[in-house]
Amino acid sequence: MNYEVKVENLCFFYGEVNILKDINLNFQAGSFVSIIGPNGSGKSTFLKNLSRYLEPQKGIVMLGDKDINKLSKKEISKKVSVVPQNILLEFDFKVKDIVMMGRHPYVNRWKGETEEDKKIVEKAMKYTNILQFSDRFYNELSGGEKQRVILAQALAQQPKVLLLDEPISHLDLQYQVEILDLVKRLTLKEGMTAISVLHDLNMASGYSDIIIMLKEGRVYCQGKPEEVLTVENIAYVFNINVSVSKNPVTGKTYVYPISVISKKKRKLKIHIICGGGTGVKLIQELATLGFHLSTGVLNIGDSDWAISKEYELDVAEEVPFMSITNEAYKRNLELAMISDVVILLPIYLSKSNIMNVKLLTDCKLKDKKIYIVEDDNLEKRDFTNGEAIEIYKELLNKPNVVPVKKDELKEILIKADENHG
Amino acid sequence: MANKVFKRFISISILLLLFISSFIFAVAIGAVKIPWEEIIEIIFFGVNTDNRVILMDIRLPRVMIAAILGAGLAAVGGVMQGIFMNPLVDSYTLGMSSGAALGAVFSIVTGIGIFGYATTGVFAFIGTVSTLFLVYFLSKTKNRVSINTLLLAGVAVSYFLSSIISFVMMMNKHKLDQIVFWTMGSLSSSTWQKFIISSSIIIPGVLLLNIFGRELNIMSLGEESAHYIGVDVERLKYILLGICSLIVGAVVSTGGTIGFLGLVAPHIVRLIWGSDYRRLIPYSAIIGGSILMLADALGRVLIQPSEIPVGVMTSIMGGPFFVFLLRKQKSKGA
Repeated sequence: MNYEVKVENLCFFYGEVNILKDINLNFQAGSFVSIIGPNGSGKSTFLKNLSRYLEPQKGIVMLGDKDINKLSKKEISKKVSVVPQNILLEFDFKVKDIVMMGRHPYVNRWKGETEEDKKIVEKAMKYTNILQFSDRFYNELSGGEKQRVILAQALAQQPKVLLLDEPISHLDLQYQVEILDLVKRLTLKEGMTAISVLHDLNMASGYSDIIIMLKEGRVYCQGKPEEVLTVENIAYVFNINVSVSKNPVTGKTYVYPISVISKKKRKLKIHIICGGGTGVKLIQELATLGFHLSTGVLNIGDSDWAISKEYELDVAEEVPFMSITNEAYKRNLELAMISDVVILLPIYLSKSNIMNVKLLTDCKLKDKKIYIVEDDNLEKRDFTNGEAIEIYKELLNKPNVVPVKKDELKEILIKADENHG
Repeated sequence: MANKVFKRFISISILLLLFISSFIFAVAIGAVKIPWEEIIEIIFFGVNTDNRVILMDIRLPRVMIAAILGAGLAAVGGVMQGIFMNPLVDSYTLGMSSGAALGAVFSIVTGIGIFGYATTGVFAFIGTVSTLFLVYFLSKTKNRVSINTLLLAGVAVSYFLSSIISFVMMMNKHKLDQIVFWTMGSLSSSTWQKFIISSSIIIPGVLLLNIFGRELNIMSLGEESAHYIGVDVERLKYILLGICSLIVGAVVSTGGTIGFLGLVAPHIVRLIWGSDYRRLIPYSAIIGGSILMLADALGRVLIQPSEIPVGVMTSIMGGPFFVFLLRKQKSKGA
């Protein structure tokens, strides 16, 4: 394997405090590696050890086949450049002068900058798309532009390894993507190795070949994004509940934090009949409000099913792509019966799930409060040749069934809960 | 490209013109009026007139010392601002003026004369350099000197030394005049010998500082970033502070503590030419030299027959000018 950076038994102390504990890592040339971990887990300290801004008390860092301890500061800066969070200047300089500073390790003190240096600087500015403001002053630029200038400066050093310490923390989303796209392109096209501390797990997932998770100065785990970003790992390392799924567009692992602000527990039990994603938003809202929820009948793998599992709700479930079996129907009825309120969301109706609506006509539910969320597209949702429409009509004639507008629902339920006591 | 070279040529011409006209102005005026023709005759043709002694042995060394001290203070001020990444820093920030004063006060009070009439100067020099080293080593932890600690240590040491000076002054009221006069900064006892001694330290010092322009530029990004670009930050600080302390030592031992110049001159350059230290250091030196020559010349003639000490003059002139430049810069919206 061609390792650009090798770290062996690295230990680092700030005074008596052991920040990094016996770290062993290898970084493959041309890879994009993200380091994640909570504040104080040693991410930045680790990067500073890689650039030898800090000197480890124990262990070795190898750059290519050279021990970093045996290299001079200039030699290191020809191999490794660093892009920090954000740089503010007390005394302002022009953009091109700042990028030229990156040539310092190559420039002879007496001869000054050569034509070659100027060419390299221009190339770096072209790459990061800052040529058009090369004559402007750094402090006049926006955050995203500034960061591109600093990246250009880092490129002017012609490094093999690019270390980025939270490079996008202060940027708008648009610039975050811009910067990481640039870095990714450098790893793919120029074979540069990028090692970046990132706070945004989804950005890390989207761009990294490898993610390293640090906890309390140790490598907790490392691997491909989907291997590292699991519910269990994140719960343990970050102490937060998340749900993990795939980004529907890119197929990359996507992490959703689950809010831990649990309001007061409400007593009202609600059963929701949903499916095909109609319930996701409502389930999140009601769960956050502290209602006791159940759902059904949902096919396993359905997005409503997934969110129900995330919130650990009781679900009447069915095998994927199957019509609702008797067993599932019974389970659904059970859940509806033990709840105080049943809600029917505007789901698409076909032969396979018509039983979900039929359920509500069951005489065992004749005293149950049932809310039907209205929408005008019933005909369009119907794939049962009118059977479903008939059932809807029948339902709406029942005294215990109330049609409600979508945005009224939450308020009605909160009131119902208060009167429930 | 050609445009850039042309611009630089114009800038340097203007600066040199300023320097030369300040020099001529400072040589031409004084308590004794010497006509132009006579000045030219004395300097260029070696004609021996009544005013030859005044011009050659009193006025000329004084003006040249002013030029050298001004250049030294201004260059050091600019460099210190660069090291500390702080626009409010000047040549005396690290307690060097208090150190110089304590050295001078010590020699004045004890009346020792081991170095003849240069004793006060030598002690001031020792006071300056040793104060800087004291502050530097106080701030050093684990082979690293944090610039914030350095600034704070400088302030602390400065206050400590000042209180010692006050105490010594209180105990030696009969020498108060002499001490106060010294601390105000004056060039009234300038000689050729003083010029040779001070310029033999200040000129090479300022030239050496110029070599580090590129590194100082990079220091503007912050110490950490400078490190990542391959600058040996600790070594740079050590070298630059060392050179600066020698220059400041030479300045105060020759002219006392002349204030404000080290702060103002680099800022004038910044406002007009920007912060590139490869230009800032030499330009500051030229402007600093010019200002000090003018300030001293005016101080000599404004309230004849007496003199305004040059330190007082620099503050009176520099302050308002600085405010003017700041406001002008602000109204440009930059």
